[in-house]
Amino acid sequence: MRRYGVVLLVLTALVGALVAGAGDPVGAQAVPRQLRIAIGIDADRLDPAEQTTTTVANIVDYMFETLVDLHPTKLQVVPRLATRWQISSDGLTYTFTLRRGVRFHDGTPLNAEAVKFSLERLKDPRVAMALRFLVQPVQSVEAVGEETVRIRLNRVTPTFLADLSTTQFAIVSPAAVQRAGDRWRSAPAGGGTGPYMFKEWRRGDSILLERNPNYWGKKPLFDEILFRVVPDAGTRLTQVLAGDVHQAMLPPAPDVKGLRRNPQVKVVEAASDRVIFVAMNTQWGPFKDVRVRQAMNYAVNKKAILASVLFDLGTVADSPCPPMMFGYHRVREGGWPFSPTRAKELLAQAGYRDGFQVDFFTPTGRYIQDFQFAQAIAGQLRNVGIRANVTTMDWPSYVAMIQTPPERTRIQMLVLGWAWPVLDCDGVLYGQFHTSSHPPRGLGPAFYGNPRVDQLLEQQRQEPNVERRKALLKEAQEIIWNEAPWIWLWSQKWYVVTHRSLEGVLIHPIEKWTALCEPQEPAVGHHCVNWR
Amino acid sequence: MGAYILRRLALAVPTLVGVTVVVFALIRLVPGDPARLVLGLQASEEEVQRLRVQLGLDQPLPVQYVRFLGRLLQGDLGRSVVTGEPVAREIAARLPATVQLAVASTLVATAAGVAAGVVSATRQYSWLDYLVMTVALAGISLPVFWLGLMLMLLFSVHLRWLPAGGYGTPAHLVLPTVTLAAFSVAIIARMTRSSLLEVLHQDYVRTAWAKGLGSRAVVLRHALKNALIPVVTVIGLQFGGLLGGAILTETVFAWPGMGRLLVGAIVARDYPVVQGAVLVFAALFTLVNLAVDVLYAYVDPRIHYG
Repeated sequence: MRRYGVVLLVLTALVGALVAGAGDPVGAQAVPRQLRIAIGIDADRLDPAEQTTTTVANIVDYMFETLVDLHPTKLQVVPRLATRWQISSDGLTYTFTLRRGVRFHDGTPLNAEAVKFSLERLKDPRVAMALRFLVQPVQSVEAVGEETVRIRLNRVTPTFLADLSTTQFAIVSPAAVQRAGDRWRSAPAGGGTGPYMFKEWRRGDSILLERNPNYWGKKPLFDEILFRVVPDAGTRLTQVLAGDVHQAMLPPAPDVKGLRRNPQVKVVEAASDRVIFVAMNTQWGPFKDVRVRQAMNYAVNKKAILASVLFDLGTVADSPCPPMMFGYHRVREGGWPFSPTRAKELLAQAGYRDGFQVDFFTPTGRYIQDFQFAQAIAGQLRNVGIRANVTTMDWPSYVAMIQTPPERTRIQMLVLGWAWPVLDCDGVLYGQFHTSSHPPRGLGPAFYGNPRVDQLLEQQRQEPNVERRKALLKEAQEIIWNEAPWIWLWSQKWYVVTHRSLEGVLIHPIEKWTALCEPQEPAVGHHCVNWR
Repeated sequence: MGAYILRRLALAVPTLVGVTVVVFALIRLVPGDPARLVLGLQASEEEVQRLRVQLGLDQPLPVQYVRFLGRLLQGDLGRSVVTGEPVAREIAARLPATVQLAVASTLVATAAGVAAGVVSATRQYSWLDYLVMTVALAGISLPVFWLGLMLMLLFSVHLRWLPAGGYGTPAHLVLPTVTLAAFSVAIIARMTRSSLLEVLHQDYVRTAWAKGLGSRAVVLRHALKNALIPVVTVIGLQFGGLLGGAILTETVFAWPGMGRLLVGAIVARDYPVVQGAVLVFAALFTLVNLAVDVLYAYVDPRIHYG
């Protein structure tokens, strides 16, 4: 019996030691030494130039900075590492003046040579820059003295200044890149100018950043920032509720309503530029007829699905381009009207009085409630006689299916989401409705083509005048909307849940959260993450 | 014994080569393009094609396989498509977490499972036996993601005793170990019970009782040791399986193990990582099986390997 007593004692001591080792509780109200943020995926690469995922780019934003910022709501380009710039009257030469006294984490100065190195690096084929076409307009980068950089373009590019605000265009320390060599993409130490510096990346587990004591802007609040990789949405939420982390991205969608009422936490949500749609293959059977495509739009009750299936985590589309983008024009207030009667009339006119059968593909778990809302849409289509067979598959197979050329494609209709890192309608319109977007060259599964739309989209890419460009985009949006190559659904919301004391976290339309401080420009408002 | 082990290791080589062929073919038979998946939907087709060429994916499959095998012979598992890092480094970063969890949960499951099995067998058809076997049944039936979340809600959110997932301190190990062990405990307990019951009915056990030995000596020294062979087999299989990663437990507890690495690589069509991880898994499984066979000889001196 005595022996059992000893075992019990040892066990108790062991459990006690384990519990004590659990780390300092996060619940205390003082500013935590370490801010912990739960993210849903591990990073693939930390080189700013090789970013393909907004969440990873979001982490990179804490370490690296770009020449300019795009204000998330005012769509205005504001200074970051460049304090001012001039654009020549022909729109081909951009001259930037760099901020003085900025140093990289490795101590080397930010100068014109570093900018030249960073931008020329984006053209290097060994750098896997996914959106390389963004640098294609750059003909040359010239360092004019220490703090002036002149960029010459080979063609007028109205979005160029805004493009420079994307993470891929961050300015890196040439010395740090060369020193890191092969290790640069996994351990970009010393390479940035941002408020936090790279410390450690534990694969599949966490990414640790530490305060940059010499940061040129507002001094960072926390000693360290830890990004914890937590793939399960339920666990991310549990960690916030348990006080293990201070912020978590995308808790389970069905929990969001309850969390909005929970005083312990804050739900921060905002519309994103990710449009969710059902693309109809305009070269397949009934969908060749515009009346059928319009009928499909009349048949689906977007508002009801948003409320009952998506927990209101979306905003009904009223244009092919989402509202927060440059050039957006609201084509139809309140979105495409819901009218099964009108849908049936149009189907009858098109010769489909008894409806038809169609294969309807959707991914699962890629977009908010995707498989669920696809079934809801199929249910509503059945009311007007269209029998849509919902099929799902894993994401790689899905992408492979979309990439099939038109003569072999299985696509009749499918669910897809589209987002763009630059808040400009060009991204969604050119990327989905220009003829060059047809698979396999592009990823526009509607195979939509209209010579007038092609012409408008090409013209706006060459048009330096803001108002004339808006007019071109407006006409394109109207034509595309009415020709209905998609069932216009909604733009998704993006959301995080934070500890109640964490203040000032904002959601950007490009599915990022505030990386500590918003644009450093008093004229458009200046604001930082805080702890209260 | 030494010669036996060497022969077994030599025999493992064709098995592992077979594994490389199957994995290489299977992962390429499913649709999906690693280059497109890495660069994203918005990348232009030119960039995707450039990456395909860089990765050698434009080559015919036999050429790709021979290249892979050639590198493998030089001890090179290739580079991950997704991260650009050597596959060996990716696996080395994940293996310690997996081994920790596999060892911890196997130890816990063995201790608890054998103890429960012995209690159950020596008190057959008592309320205790029914209780233990009911709990064991529950352990097998509970889905790990549910059990894991419930444990987290209790111990992390309400009691705040243990962290809700993550990796690093011994405290982080407790909940995933318990969750993972719950399943193995049940199997080990049932196996111990039935095997021990069989032995307890044998003549030499009756003789042991008859000579007046205490129950501890009869059950533990005489009976249990002879009942252990199937139990050791089950433990070995469980342990070998766990070394390949426990995807659900790792996902729920944000545990950076091999299971998540492998599933993530499959979802990204990261061919080199899938090949490397499965190969390492197969090698470990072979080694564990060999260790189990060697253990037989220790448990039962009548077994000799020549």
